[in-house]
Amino acid sequence: MLARSFLALVALSALMLCGASAVAPKGPDSANLSGDVEKLTATIDRLIAQRWGETMTAPAPLADDAEFLRRVHLDLTGRIPSVEEARTFLADRRPDKRARLVEQLLGSSRYVAHFINVWRQLLLPEAGNNFQVRIQQSSFEAWLKQMIAKNAGYDEMARELLNLPLDKSGTEIDLFLGNAATPLAFYVAKEFKPENLAASTARVFLGIKIECAQCHNHPFAEWNREQFWGFAAFFGGVRSKRTQDFVLPDKEIKEKRELVIPGTERFAQARFLNGVEPVWKSKSTSRGTLADWMTAPGNPYFSRAAVNRVWEYFLGTGLVDPVDEMVGGDHRPSHPELLDVLAHEFAAHRFDVKFLIRAITASQAYQLSSAANQPEAPARELFARMPLRGLTAEQMFDSVAAATGYRDRGNDDNYLAGLLGGQRSARAEFLTRFGAQTERAVEAQTSILQALSLMNGKVIAAATSLEDSETLAAVVEAPFVATEERIATLYLAVLSREPQAEEVKRAVQFVNDAGKRRKGSKKEALADVFWALLNSPEFIVNH
Amino acid sequence: MSRSSLRLSRRDWLRLSAAGVIGYSMSGWLENLASAVAASPERKRSCILLWMNGGPSQMDTFDLKPGHKNGGPYKEIATSVPGIKISEHLPQIARQMKEMVLVRSMRTKEADHGRATYQMRTGYLPGGAVSYPTLGSLLSKELEQPGAALPSFVSIAPYRFFSPAAYNSGFLGPRYAPLVVGENQQSLIPIPGRQNNVEDSLKVPDIARPEGVSGEREAARIDLLRQMQDDFVRTRPALPAESQRSAYQRAVTLMQSRATKAFELDDEPKKLRDAYGRNLFGQGCLLARRLVEQGVPFVEVTLSNTANLTLGWDTHINNFEAVKKLSEVLDSGWATLMNDLRQRGLLESTLIVWMGEFGRTPKINDNRGRDHWANSWTTALAGGGIKCGQVIGKTSADGMEVADRPIGVQDFLATIAVALGIDTKKQNNSNVGRPIRIADPAAKPIQEVLA
Repeated sequence: MLARSFLALVALSALMLCGASAVAPKGPDSANLSGDVEKLTATIDRLIAQRWGETMTAPAPLADDAEFLRRVHLDLTGRIPSVEEARTFLADRRPDKRARLVEQLLGSSRYVAHFINVWRQLLLPEAGNNFQVRIQQSSFEAWLKQMIAKNAGYDEMARELLNLPLDKSGTEIDLFLGNAATPLAFYVAKEFKPENLAASTARVFLGIKIECAQCHNHPFAEWNREQFWGFAAFFGGVRSKRTQDFVLPDKEIKEKRELVIPGTERFAQARFLNGVEPVWKSKSTSRGTLADWMTAPGNPYFSRAAVNRVWEYFLGTGLVDPVDEMVGGDHRPSHPELLDVLAHEFAAHRFDVKFLIRAITASQAYQLSSAANQPEAPARELFARMPLRGLTAEQMFDSVAAATGYRDRGNDDNYLAGLLGGQRSARAEFLTRFGAQTERAVEAQTSILQALSLMNGKVIAAATSLEDSETLAAVVEAPFVATEERIATLYLAVLSREPQAEEVKRAVQFVNDAGKRRKGSKKEALADVFWALLNSPEFIVNH
Repeated sequence: MSRSSLRLSRRDWLRLSAAGVIGYSMSGWLENLASAVAASPERKRSCILLWMNGGPSQMDTFDLKPGHKNGGPYKEIATSVPGIKISEHLPQIARQMKEMVLVRSMRTKEADHGRATYQMRTGYLPGGAVSYPTLGSLLSKELEQPGAALPSFVSIAPYRFFSPAAYNSGFLGPRYAPLVVGENQQSLIPIPGRQNNVEDSLKVPDIARPEGVSGEREAARIDLLRQMQDDFVRTRPALPAESQRSAYQRAVTLMQSRATKAFELDDEPKKLRDAYGRNLFGQGCLLARRLVEQGVPFVEVTLSNTANLTLGWDTHINNFEAVKKLSEVLDSGWATLMNDLRQRGLLESTLIVWMGEFGRTPKINDNRGRDHWANSWTTALAGGGIKCGQVIGKTSADGMEVADRPIGVQDFLATIAVALGIDTKKQNNSNVGRPIRIADPAAKPIQEVLA
C-alpha cells in the first residue's frame, strides 16, 4: 500500500516537473486505429484469462448471438433491438458481425441519446436532491449532447466543465428557461461552494474520496484536512448569491488561490493532491490550472478513474471497487496491469470513449453468457460470468416502446410543464414512477409499485391490448400463420431471441387452453403471452 | 416455486437475505417462524409521521410569543396539561396535550427547502456519494412483520418537489421503498378544471387489473409469468432476478389480498370521516389509522397544499391567514386520529411525529409573512413509547434563540427510533460499501422523552 502511494507520488512529481499542461500526443491515424482496438482487446483477454488460470476458474461460455445482441443494444443505445434489427443480425453470417454491430450502434443517434443519460447520472447525481438542479437538467443535457455528438474526448468534457465561465451565466430567467447548452447545473448542484466542488471533482474525475478530510483528519486516511482545503482552494474564487429560494453565481475572483480553513485562521494554498505547488502561468485561472493538471495524459488518477467507470458500466464491477474510492483503504485493483494498460491506451487515444467501448465490447469478458454454468457463482471481480444488471427507468420505458410499437401521445417531457399541470408524456410519468436508480446496477431491485405498474399500468395495458398495440396487431392479425410462428415473433419482439422448443410448446398449450375455455379467445391468449413476456425478469434485466 | 438446484455462493446468499429476497421466497420452517412472529402478542410499534411541507411557523402553532412584537395576532389557549399553552386555532389538539410532547428547542442549520427536507427526512445533508434512505424506509425495515400482505411503509400525499431523494429508500433499495398514494393531487399551482378527488387518489395505483381483463384471464397469465420467472431464476440466480420475482409475488399477494380493503375509506361512518376533515390530509390521517390497524408499521401523511394554499406551510406572504386555514385542517385531522387510535386501543403502540423541514422567522416581514428559519423551532411527538404531557426546551422571549436544551436533527431522529424500540446501533450496508448505523453515533436521544 505504502509502496504504491509512494510510486504514485513519484509519478506525480515527475509530471509536475514536465509542466502540468503537457499537450496530448497526436492520435494515431484511423488506419491504425482498428489495429489498436484489436491489440487492446487481446490484452484484456490475456490478463482476464490469466486470473482465471491463477484462481482455477472456469469461465461461462460465450454468449450466443441473441444474448450479445440484446446486451449491446441496451448498453449502447439504451433499448432492445427491434424485430427487424434482431432478424437481420441473427441471419448475418459474417464472422465480424459483432464488431460491425458495435460500430453501427456507436454511430447512431440513439447512442448519443443514451449516453446523455449515462454521463448525467455520473456528473449530476443530485438531480433528485435539488429542484433547482432538476430544472436546469435540460440545459445540462443539451451540453452533454453537444459533447457526445462530436465525440469529444473525456478530457475535453472535464476541461469544459471545470473551466466553465461563471460570471456571465445570466439571470434567473435564463437559468430557468433551460434553453442554453451549459453544464452550469454541476455548479448549482454543488451550491457554488469550493468544498463541494472539490469533493465532487475528486470523486468523479479522479476516483478519490477526500470529503472525509473536510472536517477533521483521520488517522488512516490518505489525505488530511490541510490537503483537502488546499485542493478546494482551486475553486476558492467561486462565489454565489442567494435569493429566497435559489442559488445564483456571483462574480468570480478567477485567480484566487487560497482558502481559509473553517474554524481556523490559517489559509490553505492551492495544491494538487500530492502536495505539489502548481506552476502558475500568467493569466491562468485557478480552475483552469487544475483542469490542465487533471487532464494531462500522465496524470495518475484521471485516466484510471475514467476507464474504471467505463469498465464498471459494461461489466457490472470496477477493476477497483468501489469506483469512487480507488485510492486508500484496501481497495486494490483486481487486475492491476489491466487497469494500467487501459488507462494508458485511453490517454494515448485522446481519451476517446468510443475507442474504449470498442475494445471492451469486443473482449471475451464482455461477451460471456450470464447463464450459470456451475453451481457456485464465481467472484464478481473475476469477470468469469456476465452479471445481471438492472435497467434504468429510461432503458425500461424505451425498451417497452421498442417491443410494442408504443407511441407516446403526450408530447411534453418538460419537467416544469409537468409541475404546472401540463400534459406530461407517458414516458415522463413512467420515469417519475420508477425514479432514478440509486443502487448499483448489479444489485438492482424491483419495488411493489413498479411491479403493479408493469402488470396493470396504462402503458403495458395499451401495449398489450389488441386494439392499441402495433406489434401485437401485426402478430395476431397476420393471415395463414401458425400459432408457433406468432409466438416466435412475440419472443423476438420482447426478448430478442427465438423461443426454445419447450417454450413454444408451453405457449401453444396456453393459447389452445384459452381457446377451449372460451371460443374466440385465442387472440386474447396471444396478448397474454405478450404480457407475460413483458413482465418477465428476462425482459426487465440486462443479462 | 421450487428453489433452484444451483447453489448460491455465500456472498450471494448474504446479499439476497440482506435484501429480503430469500426470506420471502423460502418455504418451510422460515415461513412458520414468520407467522409465529406475526401472531405474537408483543407486536412491535407503529409510527405515523405527519409531515408539514414548507416549514410550519412555530410562532403561530406551538410556541407563541403573545405581547412581543414578533408574536403576531394569534392568542394562546390552555391545553389539557396545566401550564402548556398553544395557538387558539388548534383547540382540539390542545385537548390531546396529555398525550403529547412539544420540542420547542429544535436548532438546525439548513434553511433551504431541498437541503433541509433531505436532512430532516434522512438525518444527513445531501450531496455526497451515499444515498441515505428516508426515515420511513429506514425504520419500517426494522419494524416490518415477515409475510405481511401490506407493504411496511406507506406514504400518503407526498409532495416531493423540494427534494425527491428525501422520499426514497436510498441505499436500502426498492424493497423498502414506500407504497405511495395520493401523490398527484399536489401540484405546484392550482389547475383549473382538475377537481381533487380525495377518495380515488388515496387508492393504490394500478392495483386493479386493466379494464377488459377478466379474473380468470388474469390468473392464467400470472401463472404463465410465474413459469417464466422460475425458468429465468433457475438459470440466472442473482439479485436482480430474485428481487423481480419476489416483488411480483408481493404485488400479486397485495392485489388478491383482503388487506387492501384498508384503502376503502367508504367503509367508515360518515360522521367519523367528517370529523377527520374532508380534505386530503384529514382523509389521509384516517387511512393512516386503517393501515396501522392492519399492522403497517410506518405511515406518513403530508400536509401541504390545502384550501387553495398552494405552497403549504411556506408562508412568506400573509402568514396569519394561511396558518389559520392550515391549522384548521391540521387540528381536525390530527386530533381525530388520536381519538380514533385511542378508542381502538392503538394509541399506546403508535408513535405520532409532527415535523416540517424547518420553522419560520420570528420576525414578521413586510408582506405580513414569515421566512425560512432553522435556528429555533418546534417539532412534536405524541402517542405511545414516550413520556407525555411535557415541553422540551424553550426559546428566548423574542423567539430568535434556543434558550434551553438545543436539539439537533440526529438527536430528534434518534429519539424517534428509540421510542419505537429500535436499536440505533444497528448497521445497514450503504451503496458505497460502508456500513451506516440507524442513528449517527454522535446523536443523543432526548432522555426526558423516552419512557
